Amino acid sequence: MRPFIEVRGLEHAYPLEGGEWVPALQGIDLTIEPGEFVALIGSNGSGKSTLARHFNGLLEPTAGEVWVDGLSTSDPRHLWEVRQRVGMVFQNPENQLVASTVEEDVAFGPENAGLPPDEIRQRVDEALALVGLQDYCTHPPQMLSGGQKQLVAIAGVLAARPACVVFDEPTSMLDPPSRRRILDTVRRLNVHEGITVVLITQSMAEAAAAGRVLAMHAGRIVMDGPPREVFEQGERLRALGLGLPPAVEIARRLREQGLALPPGLLTVEALAGALC
Amino acid sequence: MLIRIENLAHTYARGTPLVHDALRGVSLEIAPGERVGIVGRTGSGKSTLVQHLAGLLKPTSGRVLLDGVIAHTRSSAAQRRKLALAFQYPEHQIFEHTVLREVAFGPRHLGLRKDEIAGRVRWALGMVGLDVEEMGERVPFTLSGGEMRRVALASVLAMRPEVLILDEPTAGLDPQGRRELLAQVRRWQEEIGMTLVLVSHDLDELAHVVERVVLLNDGQVAIDGPARQVLSDGPLLRAAGLDVPQPVALLQMLREAGWDVRTDRLLPEEAAEEILRVGGRA
Repeated sequence: MRPFIEVRGLEHAYPLEGGEWVPALQGIDLTIEPGEFVALIGSNGSGKSTLARHFNGLLEPTAGEVWVDGLSTSDPRHLWEVRQRVGMVFQNPENQLVASTVEEDVAFGPENAGLPPDEIRQRVDEALALVGLQDYCTHPPQMLSGGQKQLVAIAGVLAARPACVVFDEPTSMLDPPSRRRILDTVRRLNVHEGITVVLITQSMAEAAAAGRVLAMHAGRIVMDGPPREVFEQGERLRALGLGLPPAVEIARRLREQGLALPPGLLTVEALAGALC
Repeated sequence: MLIRIENLAHTYARGTPLVHDALRGVSLEIAPGERVGIVGRTGSGKSTLVQHLAGLLKPTSGRVLLDGVIAHTRSSAAQRRKLALAFQYPEHQIFEHTVLREVAFGPRHLGLRKDEIAGRVRWALGMVGLDVEEMGERVPFTLSGGEMRRVALASVLAMRPEVLILDEPTAGLDPQGRRELLAQVRRWQEEIGMTLVLVSHDLDELAHVVERVVLLNDGQVAIDGPARQVLSDGPLLRAAGLDVPQPVALLQMLREAGWDVRTDRLLPEEAAEEILRVGGRA
């Protein structure tokens, strides 16, 4: 199978005043297969968001190359198709809403793609159903809660029928019930719709729900593996300015005191199960 | 400073179709030196409440008293000066060209002498772990997000408030940034003895800092009590749209499975100790 995203020797530098450049990404090599659920973790400034912006050609490599579904993002002729395939959801839903009703907002993308009205209707209904907002079609987005606004933003991205969605800290401004709802939606899109997911997050508990965790530090990928392997390495994560999911932290302390526990306990449910 | 909130109600957009009761009959008292967490889901009234504490809003009914003086009136200026509020993402309000000028802005407007201002700036930057020599002349906008957050909080501390109100102070920071900031907040409180009001919906995090928690639900106080009691009350927190901290969730599962564990251990290290103490099913 062809990788969905392939990154080879990617470098990215941002210009500073006075002609200097700050390197944000250094020598990234990465392959993401179709249907993967990848969590991207790392401290502020480690390069997560910069890397994610290369996944749909929002940034152009300073060096190296990125292919999305076989299309190079360095070729301007491919950008339209690349962005059709990879959608982006950002932190603040307020910045992503453009219309005066929920359905118009979700229709914005398909309308601009010049699709026929029937097709637009169908895609809007489908996208709203996927995020569970079918009953809110005619609501003004401003009247929704933060979590619902974020779901509208996700529906807007889904209406383009992307093969992959990159979520850049989609829950960091939301309260716990909304966080849960967004995370459930992300997981469902991955499992049931086969959408490739890249989730950037500062929550180690959220990252533990992914199939694969990439940890970044100073513009490089420094850890890459299933969550159970990555979160085994508590000391290393701490050194990277990260932490452990609470369940893993408790399990670590119990093991230190001599309690025999199986590896890979990522949630309090799993830990409770192992203890009982 | 003693803060008294008496039967406070706040209605937004009165007389329009968008009318919304943000606070309904809230009463509470905050004593000098207390560490209080205000929790609740989005829209529960947290931010409206803290704006009332700072005298930024006029109550629809009821009143807020700062050492006995009504908060939103002109005559409370002296009391309000003892109280500082850092909004969410306080770094968005940075506007000066250097870190020194930014932190000095508040003290300068208090009419302090030059050497006093310099002393306060040095002290405040020290409290957030930034070095004056190294950072003073830097342009705030070239700093990292975490550094900008600390500069913004230093500007608030430079006012030497008796009451410090922080609205979601760790939002958007990475895990280490959150850990460091919370440790600093605890240290400020210990060293200065100020009253601390912390607004958050991250209960795992709040458990590290506060001793008392006020839970707001739909504009009313659902419960006000010791942090251990409120943060381990699963049914009440869930009814208000929140979750118990993860260590409490674990202990509750064990309890349901027949372990005789206390469920009010809020921190991972406390939960681990409790599990080792009990060791298994009763």
